[in-house]
Amino acid sequence: MTTETAAAPLGPLTERVVESLVGLGGRLEREPFEVRVVLPARAIVDAVRTAREAGFDLLSDVFGIDWLRYPGHQGPRFSVGYNLYSIGHGERLFLRVDVDDDEPVPSITGVWKAATFVEREVYDMFGLRFSGHPDLRKIHTPEDLEGHPLRKDFPLGETPTLFNDGRFLDPAAFRAGMIGASGGLTGWVGGARKGVVAEQVDPAPATPCAGATSADEGER
Amino acid sequence: MGLKDLFEKDVQELERDGILFSTLGKLVAWGRSNSLWPATFGLACCAIEMMQSTNARNDMARLGSEVFRASPRQADVMIVAGRCSKKMAPVMRRVFDQMPDPKWVISMGACASSGGMFNNYAIVQNVDSVVPVDVFVPGCPPRPEALIYAVLQLQKKVRGEVFDQDGVELPMVEGWTR
Amino acid sequence: MTVKPAGYQALTLSEERTGDFETKLMRINVGPQHPSTHGVLRLVVDLDGERIARISPVIGYLHTGFEKTMEHRTYQQVVTYSNRMDYVHSFGHDLAYVLSAEQLMGARVPERAQRIRVILTELNRISSHLVFFGTGILDMGALTLFFYTMREREQLLDIFESVTGVRMNFGYFRVGGLYQDVPESFEHDVRAFIASFPKMLDQYSALFAKNDIFVNRTTGVGVIPIERALEDGLTGPSLRASGVSLDFRKAQPYSGYEDYDFDVPVSTAGDANARFAVRFQEMRESLKIVEQALDRLEPGPVRDPDRRISLPPRNELETSMEAVIFHFKLVTEGFHPPRGSAYVPTESARGELGYYLVSDGGSMPYRVKVRVPSLMNLQSLESACVGGLFADMVVNIATMDPVMGDVDK
Repeated sequence: MTTETAAAPLGPLTERVVESLVGLGGRLEREPFEVRVVLPARAIVDAVRTAREAGFDLLSDVFGIDWLRYPGHQGPRFSVGYNLYSIGHGERLFLRVDVDDDEPVPSITGVWKAATFVEREVYDMFGLRFSGHPDLRKIHTPEDLEGHPLRKDFPLGETPTLFNDGRFLDPAAFRAGMIGASGGLTGWVGGARKGVVAEQVDPAPATPCAGATSADEGER
Repeated sequence: MGLKDLFEKDVQELERDGILFSTLGKLVAWGRSNSLWPATFGLACCAIEMMQSTNARNDMARLGSEVFRASPRQADVMIVAGRCSKKMAPVMRRVFDQMPDPKWVISMGACASSGGMFNNYAIVQNVDSVVPVDVFVPGCPPRPEALIYAVLQLQKKVRGEVFDQDGVELPMVEGWTR
Repeated sequence: MTVKPAGYQALTLSEERTGDFETKLMRINVGPQHPSTHGVLRLVVDLDGERIARISPVIGYLHTGFEKTMEHRTYQQVVTYSNRMDYVHSFGHDLAYVLSAEQLMGARVPERAQRIRVILTELNRISSHLVFFGTGILDMGALTLFFYTMREREQLLDIFESVTGVRMNFGYFRVGGLYQDVPESFEHDVRAFIASFPKMLDQYSALFAKNDIFVNRTTGVGVIPIERALEDGLTGPSLRASGVSLDFRKAQPYSGYEDYDFDVPVSTAGDANARFAVRFQEMRESLKIVEQALDRLEPGPVRDPDRRISLPPRNELETSMEAVIFHFKLVTEGFHPPRGSAYVPTESARGELGYYLVSDGGSMPYRVKVRVPSLMNLQSLESACVGGLFADMVVNIATMDPVMGDVDK
């Protein structure tokens, strides 16, 4: 396992490609384990085409990140990452586009058919629209599910664990206690643990989302 | 032995000759219990163990339950093997509705029985809310032996040999009244 | 529940078929409950006679919310989830996850732990391919091989059970090493398997590889040329069957794979037969790796001694207050990797598998993105099936070897 904290080395192919990507308005970011180019949304199709023509011949992945709860994050709320690999050179390059909620991302399906499913996945999980995608439908979640599960404000949707005498254990509050984000381990303090329900979290939230969201927020 | 002997001899004598008496209902239930054909309905991890339970070592054929039917119309038992997502739930109900009566359901594994470790937005927390479950099998995934034990329990239930907590015999499963 | 692919329109049929009568495509729904789709895959197929004109997979019937759930678990707890994603090659998923987490943490894994990881992952690869062969040939209507492969798989599951305590869904790897050392019988059991398995492979080979029916059923079926494979993002044995020698065990070695001498079987035919053959060869290569790793297995620790990651030894808890505090903090809170992201590609039995982890400095991953091989491989189904016979679709699904837990996450 490599433990160096210096930035990841740039391979010859990556160096060439990064140069032309910077020409497209990209910004090189070198982290300990990944080489990443952050691009403006409008340039991503050209960037992927450039990289592919230069020799990155495998599109590994397209993924989204929601920065809503990331401490100290500034800038647009979402990122879309592109994971490219060059089989001949054995080099990996990450591209990234930062976008806000209602900002469409140009789809790269025209350049690379492999992006069809993964872009649909990002749309389903984060609600980011890809303009020019031939078939932008939900892929994983049921048709009648509202919302986009991997957004940070979408609750995990846990069912509380029920015990006798109407006691229950709210998983989110329990977890918050475990990692030290809130005081009690179970969300139950003092007498309430023995079955006396008092000034606790609403045992039956009107909608499962409402109760869980507040606890989720406490956790982060 | 003619039909005349049947009426003249008493029960003990006939049993010595190898003739047993039963009600037609019990006889049918006995026959049913030894030919429970499961529907091929594998969802996730448990489906692999369900496959293993038919192999040479575990050999569910001994219980008459090895014939996994691809069509639900030929099946008696639905083994819900694995986590059931909310997208799958309507499909599962439809497959269950397509099975002819009498029919039974085994909920195999923690995920199907209680949601297991997947306490989240995507998974049905208990398949009993979708299809009526007769036997729950714990485990993640249950061993093939556990599934075979569940089939044995279901056979008992079909034959009407199960008792409640107070030791009162429960009636036979009247599958067709569902 | 009809799902129309966007841009749906009837195909223009060739001249001689558009006479006085009207013809149109026939739409057939396959799955999600179907014995040959390996789980809950649903396919909407448009047929032009017996030929497939269009095929569109509908997935998500096993969507479990893994990524969301993992973001609400501590780094050590995630190991419990990762193996349930691909329940046929569980160790592969565990390994991919712990490698990424270890990269974030900067953990140093002892050599013995790495060797054991390699042995178990390769044995699991064999057992995964055994399921592939059993069910794949079952889909073509031959039941016998299923019982043979399942027999050998039981032998492997016995080894896994002696090591981890369970037959499937192991959760045995930990960030920084292993849960515990292997039992004494481990080496003997694995050597017995290595001794007996090549004979079994010859048996399988005699059963199907030279069987005329099998050969005719698979040769030239579902051909995926190299360009189409790369366009579709295909990886793993299916890509190698199309002629690209990409194996991350060779390309970007991890866990000490660079120490072992093994070949990457490649075929250029790109058809279903090649996909069977490549996996068949891979089982022999995996066996070679297992044997070499077992030869070099030296006694030693199996966990990173770093107290930030590993629990202190049990006997220290009785004497050292500091150990108790570390123990308590690790068990309740877990450890806190520094901010950043990590991605380690690995070679699962199905293709490129990697966990893209984003850490915000907390004890739970901020974002877990699993690059699952089966999802991308499923896109190649179109390249393989369109223009072919409907009956061959089953062969193509089988040779793509998708695991639906891996597809739907």
